[in-house]
Amino acid sequence: MRANFIFSEVWIGLRRNLTMTVAVIVTVAIGMALLGVGLMINSQISTMKDFWSDKVEVSVFLCKKNDPFPACKGSGGVNAQEQAALSQQIKAMPQVESVSFEDSAHAYEVFKTTNSGNTVLLSAIRAEDMPESFRVKLKDPDTYTAVIEQLKGAPGVSNVVNQKEILEKFFALLESLRWAALVVAIILVFAATLLIGNTVRLSAYNRRRETGIMRLVGASNIYIQLPFVMEGVIAGLIGGVMSGVLLMVSKVFLFDKVQVYLANTVLTWETVTKVILITLIFGVVICILASFVTLRRYLRV
Amino acid sequence: MIHFDNVTKVYANQNRPALDHVSVDVDKGEFVFLVGPSGSGKSTFLRLVLKEERPDSGVIQVAGKDLSRLSNFKVPHLRRRIGCVFQDFRLLPNKNVYENVAFALEVIGKPRRFIRKVVPEVVELVGLEGKAHRMPDELSGGEQQRVAMARAFVNRPMILLADEPTGNIDPATSIGIMKVLDRINRTGTTVVMATHDAAIVDSMRKRVVELEDGKIVRDQSRGVYGQAY
Ligand SMILES: Nc1ncnc2c1ncn2[C@@H]1O[C@H](COP(=O)(O)OP(=O)(O)O)[C@@H](O)[C@H]1O
Ligand SMILES: [Mg+2]
Repeated sequence: MRANFIFSEVWIGLRRNLTMTVAVIVTVAIGMALLGVGLMINSQISTMKDFWSDKVEVSVFLCKKNDPFPACKGSGGVNAQEQAALSQQIKAMPQVESVSFEDSAHAYEVFKTTNSGNTVLLSAIRAEDMPESFRVKLKDPDTYTAVIEQLKGAPGVSNVVNQKEILEKFFALLESLRWAALVVAIILVFAATLLIGNTVRLSAYNRRRETGIMRLVGASNIYIQLPFVMEGVIAGLIGGVMSGVLLMVSKVFLFDKVQVYLANTVLTWETVTKVILITLIFGVVICILASFVTLRRYLRV
Repeated sequence: MIHFDNVTKVYANQNRPALDHVSVDVDKGEFVFLVGPSGSGKSTFLRLVLKEERPDSGVIQVAGKDLSRLSNFKVPHLRRRIGCVFQDFRLLPNKNVYENVAFALEVIGKPRRFIRKVVPEVVELVGLEGKAHRMPDELSGGEQQRVAMARAFVNRPMILLADEPTGNIDPATSIGIMKVLDRINRTGTTVVMATHDAAIVDSMRKRVVELEDGKIVRDQSRGVYGQAY
């Protein structure tokens, strides 16, 4: 096999169909980038699920003085007796693994760190404004309904909030984002295969003289087909590299920005590299397949 | 070298066979004219030898190999041992004489040193020395056909098939083309030339196989084109 011969043929072919080649590269780049974003969201969802699975709690908020919650009306705030009774009741529940008490001061500390950027909010709220709560950790986070049923409306309880429920809404949002990215990626991959098919067809037409002579003098099928397939592969590779750049940009400017709100679940460069490799290989394989399938139809060998 | 035994070829969507129970033998080193009017099956015969077409019945052997048993994978190797020349030259317009001839060797993966050695030899054999760097559009029809012959012969094929090689060339120039074919034949290469140029056939006095409506109507050594013409 004469490599320089193949490459000069490929170069001529790519230049001759420049507009088609650019169309293929752009479609592959965007398609693979969206596929990559889908994979990256996917990996985020699973790291976040792992991270939160042993941390989700049910928060049982207690009534304060003049609390606007309907359950607290006229109670004048929780009293020590009610608080002790609640503590007893929660500890007695079979689903509960552990329970801790968070007072106003501690709640304010937590509030301060999570809203460290928001000075207006911080200056408006004082430590006394923060509600006190029991933080209940369940043996199995999925068994929250019974616990919530029993504690809602118990004397001194203003509200019961299940973190898992909030997180699930958030995960559902992420999951639909992932599906949207993957569906658009599939459509673009489909468009890319059609474009590649068209490019190869044009190329086969432009080079019909050469391929006719090659057949005649006994060039092997691989030798005749390789320049066409290489055109697809090179367009796919360039598109793949561009999608890699897009993915790195989206990690720095999108994922890392969102990550600020979701502690401890950083999208690692290792994952990004893995995703880029997967999309690159996938893109090139798609290009090879599309080229081969079209060649079978348009290039008699 | 070429053996046809009761070969019939009917193209799809045609009721009349292009070749009808044709049996013929061409020996190694022979020079054979395949004559007959247009549509008599000459080109079909040549395409069957190349395995560009498949017969509907009968046996074709080339260099002792039964073509029906030759896998598609091995067809290129058969074609490497058969040179082809056509009426329309089939040169690459963007390559010069040397590159057109070298192309035939490049695409079968011959080493560059070999190519640099043999291409000038063949260019000289066909009488184009000094014109290796001309482009096809800077050559006459006769010279372009010589390039095509150089390309067909550069890999030293055992068989050379020529399909009306003088069809686009004036009679005076045709004589030169025939001299080159004769020279190639003298190196031991079997030559089969399809033509309906009576003057050329008469002047060469070689074996003549005449086809009519796909049937062999005459097979004569040292023949002429035919009394009817
Ligand atoms: N590819 C083809 N498809 C259908 N019919 C063909 C094809 N090639 C040749 N034929 C028919 O086969 C017959 C013989 O053609 P051909 O071998 O080209 O004759 P020649 O070369 O002697 O002029 C003709 O009737 C022609 O119409
Ligand atoms: Mg013909």
